[in-house]
Amino acid sequence: MRKIFIFFPFLFVVFAAAGQNSQDSAWIRDNYIKKEVYIPMRDGVKLFTAVYMPKDVSEKHPILMNRTPYSCAPYGENNWRFFWNNHWKYYMREGYIIVLQDVRGRWMSEGDFVDIRPFNPNKTGTQTDEASDTYDAIDWLIKNIPNNNERVGVFGISYPGFYSTMAALSNHPALKAVSPQAPVTDWFQGDDFHHNGAFFQMDGFAFYTGFGKPRPKPTTIGPRGFDFPTNDSYNFYLEQGTLKNLAKIMGDSIQFWKDLYAHPNLDEWWKARNPRNFADKVGASTATMVVGGLFDAEDCFGAWRMYEAFEKKGKNDNKLVMGPWYHGQWSSGDGSFLGNIRFGSNTAEWYQNHIEIPYFNFHLKGKGDISKQAEATIFFSGANEWKEFGQWPPADKQDKPIYLRDGGILSWDKPSAKNSFSEYISDPSKPVPYTEDVHLDRTVAYMTDDQRFAARRTDVLTFQTEVLPEDITLAGTVVADLLTSISSTDADFVVKLIDVFPDNFNYPGNMQVAGRQGMGNYPMNAYQMLVRGEIMRGKFRNSFENPVPFKPNKIEKVKFQLPDVAHTFKKGHRLMIQIQSSWFPLADRNPQIFVNIYEASISDYKKATIRIFHDADNSSNIVLPVLK
Amino acid sequence: MKKILLFTFWGIGFLLPVRGIAQDTAYRFSLKENYTKKEVFITMRDGVRLFTAIYAPKDSSAMYPILMERTPYSCSPYGDEKFPLQLGPNALLQKDGYIFIYQDVRGRYKSEGNFQEVTPAVPVKQTKQQVDESSDTFDTIEWLLKNTQNNGSVGLYGISYPGFYASASLPGAHPAIKAVSPQAPVTDEFIGDDCNHNGAFFLLDNFGFYNYFDGKRSDNGENYSEVFKYRTNDAYSFFLKMGTLKNSNGPAYFNAKGKIYSEVLQNDRYNSYWKSRNIRTHLKNIKPAVLVVGGWFDAEDMFGALQTYQSIEQQTPGNNNNRLVMGPWTHGGWALSTWTKYASYDFGSNLNDYYHQQIETPFFNYHLKNKGSFELPEATIFETGSNEWKKYNTWPPASSTPTSFYFQPGGKLATTAGSNKSFDEYVSDPAKPVPYTSVLSGRRNNEYLAEDQRFAAQRPDVLVFETDTLKEDVIITGKIIANLFVSTTGTDADFIVKLIDVLPEAEKNPTPNPRNFQMSGFQRLVRAEVFRGKFRKSYEAPVAFVPNKIENISIALNEVAHLFKNGHRIMVQVQSSWFPLVDRNPQKFMRIPDATEKDFQKASIRVYHNSHIVLPIMK
Repeated sequence: MRKIFIFFPFLFVVFAAAGQNSQDSAWIRDNYIKKEVYIPMRDGVKLFTAVYMPKDVSEKHPILMNRTPYSCAPYGENNWRFFWNNHWKYYMREGYIIVLQDVRGRWMSEGDFVDIRPFNPNKTGTQTDEASDTYDAIDWLIKNIPNNNERVGVFGISYPGFYSTMAALSNHPALKAVSPQAPVTDWFQGDDFHHNGAFFQMDGFAFYTGFGKPRPKPTTIGPRGFDFPTNDSYNFYLEQGTLKNLAKIMGDSIQFWKDLYAHPNLDEWWKARNPRNFADKVGASTATMVVGGLFDAEDCFGAWRMYEAFEKKGKNDNKLVMGPWYHGQWSSGDGSFLGNIRFGSNTAEWYQNHIEIPYFNFHLKGKGDISKQAEATIFFSGANEWKEFGQWPPADKQDKPIYLRDGGILSWDKPSAKNSFSEYISDPSKPVPYTEDVHLDRTVAYMTDDQRFAARRTDVLTFQTEVLPEDITLAGTVVADLLTSISSTDADFVVKLIDVFPDNFNYPGNMQVAGRQGMGNYPMNAYQMLVRGEIMRGKFRNSFENPVPFKPNKIEKVKFQLPDVAHTFKKGHRLMIQIQSSWFPLADRNPQIFVNIYEASISDYKKATIRIFHDADNSSNIVLPVLK
Repeated sequence: MKKILLFTFWGIGFLLPVRGIAQDTAYRFSLKENYTKKEVFITMRDGVRLFTAIYAPKDSSAMYPILMERTPYSCSPYGDEKFPLQLGPNALLQKDGYIFIYQDVRGRYKSEGNFQEVTPAVPVKQTKQQVDESSDTFDTIEWLLKNTQNNGSVGLYGISYPGFYASASLPGAHPAIKAVSPQAPVTDEFIGDDCNHNGAFFLLDNFGFYNYFDGKRSDNGENYSEVFKYRTNDAYSFFLKMGTLKNSNGPAYFNAKGKIYSEVLQNDRYNSYWKSRNIRTHLKNIKPAVLVVGGWFDAEDMFGALQTYQSIEQQTPGNNNNRLVMGPWTHGGWALSTWTKYASYDFGSNLNDYYHQQIETPFFNYHLKNKGSFELPEATIFETGSNEWKKYNTWPPASSTPTSFYFQPGGKLATTAGSNKSFDEYVSDPAKPVPYTSVLSGRRNNEYLAEDQRFAAQRPDVLVFETDTLKEDVIITGKIIANLFVSTTGTDADFIVKLIDVLPEAEKNPTPNPRNFQMSGFQRLVRAEVFRGKFRKSYEAPVAFVPNKIENISIALNEVAHLFKNGHRIMVQVQSSWFPLVDRNPQKFMRIPDATEKDFQKASIRVYHNSHIVLPIMK
């Protein structure tokens, strides 16, 4: 990735495609003014802030703030952000005061940056954290920005989603509504850097070679990322061989990268950086609406789980919206398709106009009525419709195990055979690709990719049901419950939940799919649509804090959660499970011996024979949240 | 493939005869204004009548040579009033004035008699009932010489199956035949063309082809209906689901209603059925001038072109009238009006202008009309990689040095000798065969012969060996031999050897890049071949492997002319399936067409490090 904004197509899109909407652009220019200010924090550090204010003074206006580590560029009061290229333009038509702030230690703000800075529940005096910085910023804004109505909202996608969560913990009385969107939440368990302890090297490395560079003093110039010598990420990461070698490229100056390597297990350091642990501190009068994408490769986990944490621990009004989106697609993209999969309507636009804008209008302007907004508004792929629920997961879902069976069969019936298993050799020198085509940047659509390329490999197990006689709708968390033995002392387990389309399926009309050699329309019949995939680093099967080796060839339970799903497997489709032990280069390779992988040497990487049991005593299964 | 699916690209066209395609507005020429058409039945010596279309110039002030294509794919359009888009092998000859003859071969379309697959030659004919394609061609020419306003000279040409009929005119050729151009001629369907390569059955092509070719002929002889209906856009799934070859001839598919398909399955070794169809045996003492044409990316009859040239060369002492042209073409690609690109190759100019204007047209004009000159070197060879035409006095050129590259531990390919003390190993699972292409498609991906092989390199059941980065250009021209030392836990196995040009990581993508080629580190297939292991000692008498015993397999790959550029790498991949291009080997020694599902078994295959590939390196 030669871009610095790998995690943030949101920002990327903001800057892209200028001039598309010259009408909006002209209107905003005519009706707004921009001011740049330094806002002092309680410890004297000043944060750089860009304020776009309506010229209209006939009424007082609410403040909508986005705090970001990715810059509130462009800098200079005559240089305007291209709000007209995403849904922020609607807020300007509504007369919001738009505030963008460089977080502490980034870009033009003073102070020192700390990645996912720990929340301090016991601040005293001039101690700060991101919640206090938000508090201080809000306090200054409502006192100093003319003509504001003293009602403030905060929203942000991805890392700014993390800062939104932190804002919600600020307890400033003027803060009425916060929308953490695809919020960075738990970088060990499920967002960005790790999933269940497996290192997401591809995103992490590409992102951090730029983002992680020190910024000794305020600047408007961004860091430059790594110049990859190739366009082939699979080859690149394979050639590096070890995480140690990746660290060599990263160099010695990038603190967070060193921190990552120093904390291979879930320890206090990670727990301090997990906002879920502080969700009880959310202000009771601060409404929260967590938004995320079902197919968000970065922070799908964060959206589901941050909503859950607020719900369980907070006392505030808390809502959830999940659509069929990649990271940030709801703000700017055309949410009518992702990769090869179509969703039947522009879900992004629907969300903007039916959910988000009415939400802030209600809380910040007292406009409209959102009493009808459901607790959870969830788009179901497959059925291609929005559904509303009073709670999430829905009250009427039932967790039902579906069993892996001999002969590649997936069945609701538990196996009765004795000593039955499927096996494969997992070879770290030939890891299973996470996507089919040669590419450099992690693809935006891999989470709906056709998995036929994987099904055809000898190191991928495939289990599928008969053709479904009726629709099956899943709503909630999927749990993989594997009984496995391995010939070595560690292994990864990737479980993929797949919707197999009918043999005669086709979308109406034509849609060209770029990026596939020799293809026009992608063959959708018998398409193996990835609905949800997740990886589990085996050594964490008993505890993320205390990894333990496998005993070779001993049957062990590996049970782990996949992020929630909202999908209907239509009548005539099949449900498929694939199991494999690598997902490359998305996740780093497990050497397959029990070792601190961040310190592993090339010679540690070994082939292993993996067995997945499906017999009466050891009935591997996947627990599916079936909606009645 | 002796197929007429010659020039069909993605999703367009099907069963289009050559003549219908190679039309270009630049050459637009009114056939109806300049030619007359007559349809006749010509009687063979055994009384069988062959349907023949005669297109003769209206200008009767001159005598014209006869230029004929004999075809099993119909000489349509039928009807005295109906003209094709083009007459002749390219758009130029029709302007020079020829009597163009199209004939339905014996037993096909509107011709009488019984059709036989690749009609066996009868070198010594004792009765009038003993006929073959040579005699049918002879008898046709006799009739034409007497019944048309001709100059006494006859030429023949044809691509693919018609290429075979062109070749078949050569043994005992009628003295009026002066020039013959077998192009991608079907030549030996067990060793290297169409049906089988080294005994391995080419499932994908032949399943589709015989469904048409074995179909029922309509009463008027103008159409064939398919044996059965099927449709897929994912051949890998389709054939895996079909399962065994036995199933392919079962109720859901051919159901034993395909005469030739059944013959092909029945004859699972190099027996008299195949040997009698090997025209090479009969290409001796050839008198007419011959121009053999073939394509380096011909998935069907590359072998036939190279071997037809070589057989004539070797079996006709002193013959100086045999020429070879090999270009970067797919099957019949030279007959298109333009050829500037193939897969990720960009040749920079229209190679077919050169071929039509400088080679094919002068060949016939010189030999049949005594017009102009024809001074073509022995071999006109397109060198891929450098993308230049090369001319050689012999083929293969004498100036190459066979050089062994050994499969070394750690995935290295190097000229230092390797040892049988170490090996690489993979599990070949017939339930998860290695795809021949990364593209999902119902029909053969016609670009697979130059496709990026990274999708395969990433699999655990594909071995990869590559050289260090080359420090200078390396040109290989001529024959390639893969010499494998292998063992298997099964009793039979297939071995696919692929020679690959690895582009540098710094290689830039083309601009524009509508096909989205990712050229950085691209693993471009240069040449590949499959060998069915049980034929390692003899094609006639297959022998089982002894499990875990090291055996030697020598595989001849089709010739090549390729330049590996400075900064590239040479790579070899070895695998044991190539699906569904080739049917799956059950990995159990048996008659594969009789195998049932339970016969298909996983096998662990070892390739020892004294294995090597011998490349013809040019000095």
